[in-house]
Amino acid sequence: MSVDDAFAVALKGVTFQRGSRKIFDNVSISFPRGKVTGVMGPSGCGKTTLLRLMAAQLKPEKGEVWVNGQNLPTLSRSDLFDMRKQFGVLFQSGALFTDLNVFENVAFPLRVHTELPDEMIRDIVLMKLQAVGLRGAIDLMPDELSGGMKRRVALARAIALDPEILLYDEPFVGQDPIAKGVLVRLIRLLNDALGITSVVVSHDLAETASISDYLYVVGDGQVLGQGSPDELMNSDNPRIRQFMQGIPDGPVPFHFDAPDYRDDLLGGR
Amino acid sequence: MSNDSVTLEDGVLRIQGVLDYRSGPLLRKQGQELIRSSKADNLEVNCAAVEKSSSVGLALLLAFMRDAEQGGKTVKLTHLPLDMQKIAEVCGLTEILNIAP
Repeated sequence: MSVDDAFAVALKGVTFQRGSRKIFDNVSISFPRGKVTGVMGPSGCGKTTLLRLMAAQLKPEKGEVWVNGQNLPTLSRSDLFDMRKQFGVLFQSGALFTDLNVFENVAFPLRVHTELPDEMIRDIVLMKLQAVGLRGAIDLMPDELSGGMKRRVALARAIALDPEILLYDEPFVGQDPIAKGVLVRLIRLLNDALGITSVVVSHDLAETASISDYLYVVGDGQVLGQGSPDELMNSDNPRIRQFMQGIPDGPVPFHFDAPDYRDDLLGGR
Repeated sequence: MSNDSVTLEDGVLRIQGVLDYRSGPLLRKQGQELIRSSKADNLEVNCAAVEKSSSVGLALLLAFMRDAEQGGKTVKLTHLPLDMQKIAEVCGLTEILNIAP
């Protein structure tokens, strides 16, 4: 059994828990090849955990994680190492090497994973930086870059090895409106032009909905809903509506579970 | 068995196979030696037999263009497959590469 060719990545019946808390409980999510799929949900709902399961940094207690026809939990260590070359990851923090300039940051995966001569590495680094609009920043150090520029350099590094699947972990967090707009445009452009399968994990509703071909809303260890952005915006499901419309209280309560307030204040102390 | 190779005949440098991080280093050497050995003033780099290409394919073309320029030759690129054209477009190379219509 293997995942349908239409899907680059598919989680089937995945259960993952930390201690007694189930992060995912028998969850199935598929990511269509060559499309942008958004995964949304409130903070702490397991979005980053989902990416780590897809990149085989975590192993599920139960279920299958298929990537391009391979079920990750069954792969050997060396097969996993090869499989990971199919992934590019834009980390939430950007994760640039602070002691390397922009050029060396983007060149890093090429130097580690290939035996290309320096002149070709230089060509590819210049090409990737041109694609994100930062070829002129080649000699700058990370601490000389704005937050938005750091994210774009990290994106150039994430696509240095021409990955088939690109994972974006909260790409819009901490970005100003212009930088968000640039990232939205780049994610869509890279996806469409290079045929990449993009997975955008985010709680930034407007940006993620604007670039996603398909959306999942996750929470409470489940897939709460899925569909096109329009379908989810108009959902009758109160949990999805609360999230999509940013309503502070509802099925997802404003208050974290707590003992009775009166008892806490007046009872027995 | 891989069929990735660069060959030269009558001023036409033919690139064949899958152009990626595995094939790139060897193809670079093959192409460089062939361009240096060529007596032709005008070279055609023909990509009709490229099966698939990553950014490495574009870096190869740029390297071959530099080789030719150093040898005083002109280069014309022909039959660029769609995936190479798309990468060229995203990376702003379309005008730099001398692609024949």
